[in-house]
Amino acid sequence: MSPKIRLLVFLAAVVCILPAVGRLALQMPAFGAHPLPYGDAIDAAAPGERHVTNMVSAINFDYRGFDTLGEEFMLLCAVTGTVVLLRGHRGEALEARPGIVRGRAIAPRSEAVALISRLTAPVIVLFGVYVALHAMTTPGGGFQGGVIIATGMLLAFFGDGYPGWRRVSNSKVLDAFEGGGAALYALCGFASMLLGLPFLTNFLPIGTLKDVFSGGLMLVENAGVGLAVTGSFLLLFLEFLEETRTKKPKDGP
Amino acid sequence: MSLLPPLPVAGPLAVAGLLLALGHALPRRTPDVVALLAALAAGGVCVVMATQAAAHPIVYWFGGWAPRQGFPIGIGFVVGQAGAAFAAFIALLFAATIVFAWGYFDEVHAHFHVLMLLFMAGMIGFCLTHDLFNMFVWFEVQSIAGFALTGYQLRSSALEGALNFTVTNTIGAYLILAGIGLIYARVGVLDFSALQAGVARSPHDVVIDVSFALLSTGFLIKAAQVPFQFWLADAHAVAPSPVSVIFSGAMVALGIFGVTRLFWAVYAPAPEIQAVVRTLFLGMGTASAVVGGLMAISQRHLKRLLAFSTISHIGLLLIGFSLESREGLAGLFVYLAGHGLVKGAMFMVAGVLLAELASIDEIGLRGLGGQVWPAGVAMGLGGLLLAGMPLGLMGAGTDLLDAAAKAAGEEWVPFVVVFAAACTGGAVLRATGRIFLGLGPVAGEEKRAPTEDEQEKADRPLWVMLLPIVALLAIAIIGGGSGAAWASRMAVPFMQPDNQGVLGLAPFAAAPSSAPLHAPGTRLAWLSVALALGIAGFNLSRQLLPVGLPEIVDAMLKPVFAVVQKLHSGLIGDYIAWVAVGLAMFTIAFAWSG
Amino acid sequence: MNWLPWAVAAWLLGIGLYGVVTSRNYVHLIGCLSVVQAATYVLLLGVGYRWNAVAPIFYDHPPGTPSVDPVVQALVLTDVVIGATVTALLLAMALQLHKNRETLDPQQLRPLRE
Repeated sequence: MSPKIRLLVFLAAVVCILPAVGRLALQMPAFGAHPLPYGDAIDAAAPGERHVTNMVSAINFDYRGFDTLGEEFMLLCAVTGTVVLLRGHRGEALEARPGIVRGRAIAPRSEAVALISRLTAPVIVLFGVYVALHAMTTPGGGFQGGVIIATGMLLAFFGDGYPGWRRVSNSKVLDAFEGGGAALYALCGFASMLLGLPFLTNFLPIGTLKDVFSGGLMLVENAGVGLAVTGSFLLLFLEFLEETRTKKPKDGP
Repeated sequence: MSLLPPLPVAGPLAVAGLLLALGHALPRRTPDVVALLAALAAGGVCVVMATQAAAHPIVYWFGGWAPRQGFPIGIGFVVGQAGAAFAAFIALLFAATIVFAWGYFDEVHAHFHVLMLLFMAGMIGFCLTHDLFNMFVWFEVQSIAGFALTGYQLRSSALEGALNFTVTNTIGAYLILAGIGLIYARVGVLDFSALQAGVARSPHDVVIDVSFALLSTGFLIKAAQVPFQFWLADAHAVAPSPVSVIFSGAMVALGIFGVTRLFWAVYAPAPEIQAVVRTLFLGMGTASAVVGGLMAISQRHLKRLLAFSTISHIGLLLIGFSLESREGLAGLFVYLAGHGLVKGAMFMVAGVLLAELASIDEIGLRGLGGQVWPAGVAMGLGGLLLAGMPLGLMGAGTDLLDAAAKAAGEEWVPFVVVFAAACTGGAVLRATGRIFLGLGPVAGEEKRAPTEDEQEKADRPLWVMLLPIVALLAIAIIGGGSGAAWASRMAVPFMQPDNQGVLGLAPFAAAPSSAPLHAPGTRLAWLSVALALGIAGFNLSRQLLPVGLPEIVDAMLKPVFAVVQKLHSGLIGDYIAWVAVGLAMFTIAFAWSG
Repeated sequence: MNWLPWAVAAWLLGIGLYGVVTSRNYVHLIGCLSVVQAATYVLLLGVGYRWNAVAPIFYDHPPGTPSVDPVVQALVLTDVVIGATVTALLLAMALQLHKNRETLDPQQLRPLRE
């Protein structure tokens, strides 16, 4: 279809759908004022049963922990796919100078950027670890913390350039983080089964409310997720940064 | 309580994680062996669960979160016979594919096997789950694995096909998520049993209707039904052949299974949804069967041909579902298994041609098939089975579908089945004749079809590639009678889930005793085979026919083919415009029936 | 005004799909997919809202204070992860495609047809 006809077809379809959307918007449950039985049930049960104050983490790592297992492996899947898709066509030499694009001025290395990156990167990584481990008490969790850690480590690229980045990233270690973190989560589930309980039951002592050591198995699961997410995002950054190297000839792998 | 339900899902996931972590250090063929064992183990567990689930489904609540006073607070797996059987079928197909792909994906360490195990785990989780969001999570896991595997060969066409596939299916996933949000807003829970109770309480509710439309659209995009079918041929044509085996054999069928499961487990009590299924889905299935058949005949790239044939046969499955009857459902189950096995074997044959003869173009391969003649025998047999030969699982499934259509008063459906089978079977038989017997020097419509120079690595012996083909075809042929009997027994609890039992509100009712259905075989089966042979024969013998006859037939059919070909443009913008059209079709169907 | 959140979600969905249908650059198309995803966020979080309620974190408030629905927040977390991963995968495909064909225009890129 030519672009004009395609747009006409699309708009015609939208015109057909609009009355239904209007009717839907008017018949939806009252915004902010309709019953939320599932949420209320968990709010009532989780602080007492699991000694956690973060209900979202309780859902993600206990009540609906099996969903998070799938999500974890979805991340693994996508990162493995990205690695497979971006393979080949580039060398491994550390002397390569990525980020050089013809026609664009080469920015000189800035001492201020390097200093600030070196100062703030460890703080950010530490903050990420804090966010990951305090999932049971305050907003946070393995996913959020893992992304913060990965972004903190990316500051090595901003401050110290490509050689600095390559010094702190090693794809074999990152693969181990990623696979190991995901496998750790799955093994938590199997550990419950070894004790004769259903998969992913929280069998560790659940600690005290508002303490970092609460929630039992949730803490271990969080660590696994944090590890896996850190490894995944760092691998993604690594793969995409590698792409800025000079191109190789276009022949297939 | 049974220990088995989490194993076929969590086991392959854990193995995949470990393979990824240790992949660099493992010796050369270890990932192949490990993946094969994991697939066989998962299949074995599913078979055991299928036998255990005969009396009543196996209920398993993750994390020990059983329902409290009938309110489901956690995620449950409710393993019925149908779900366990489909999961076992999926594991079998994966095991065959891993054998077929032995050593093919050497250069990416264990990454291919990691992706395949995740693909399988996602599909099995999808079949066994009883929670709407959990179903979506496993759906996404297997979708993303599929996206990653499609573009593997890094040719520009592979990447374009992968992009079309990914964008279309991701939009489908977001529509599913929107549908989940809507029904959660109305009912407030995510477990199927509780959701069905909620749907029964509020018939003719527009929120529930729209959520059904969105969820169905997402699943029908995955199932490649009209008007969402455009991405399939692009993705199939460019994916490596082991991956295409899984796409056609299991992944597309998963979309149909999803719609069927959702309907019977959640939405069946709503009368307006029943009406829309009877009309709109019947129409979509018929359109897919017809369009798929027409496009299949006019292809020369074998994998594209088979992909369109898949669209056609899955259309027949959708028709079976839309009849809303026990025969229809049983026919769907049997035909699904049979088609998956045969189509998987056909894609493996295509892989053999790519590896041994370095081409996938039917016209370019004319007469060159002699050195791989066992593949030719398999392809001919597969073509006859696709054409509707009353043998094995596909034959039994066709009989059940025809009987269901007659019982529902849709007397014309068996003729659609004949048309689809004749077109797709004829296309495959034509290709067999051309490649392996050297017939058909004059090409017809297929000359103008898109094609490409392709080849695949040829570093595994022919017998390794032929072994799974033989195995799949054997199961497809032998399984006929007993397959139909099992399917008709599995259909009853699938259609009438025991929600009280699942939620712990009452002990499980004894499964209603149900005799297997006897569907009379119709003479239409031989009609479709004869038509398929006729189509193949006509196309292969153009030079022998009286002068002018082929030209007249071609001229009559040319406009039809031209329109259908033009619509399959390869442009992502077109595909998404058609998705919008599909949503509009749902709106009109609900307005019509509500 | 009860219908406003749902109308916003529907608008985002529509405009995102419009962007995909008329896109001339794959990176722009991937951005439009993010807009479609944002529609699902707005819908889910709108479903879970409750007037005069706190976030479902009972660190500063005692357990038992009315809170918004934590279940949809957990669902949206999963949704965010899906979005991030699929975006990464799509960008990788677009990158490789650009290396092969020097163009990112969907109008000019069709599998198997030159």
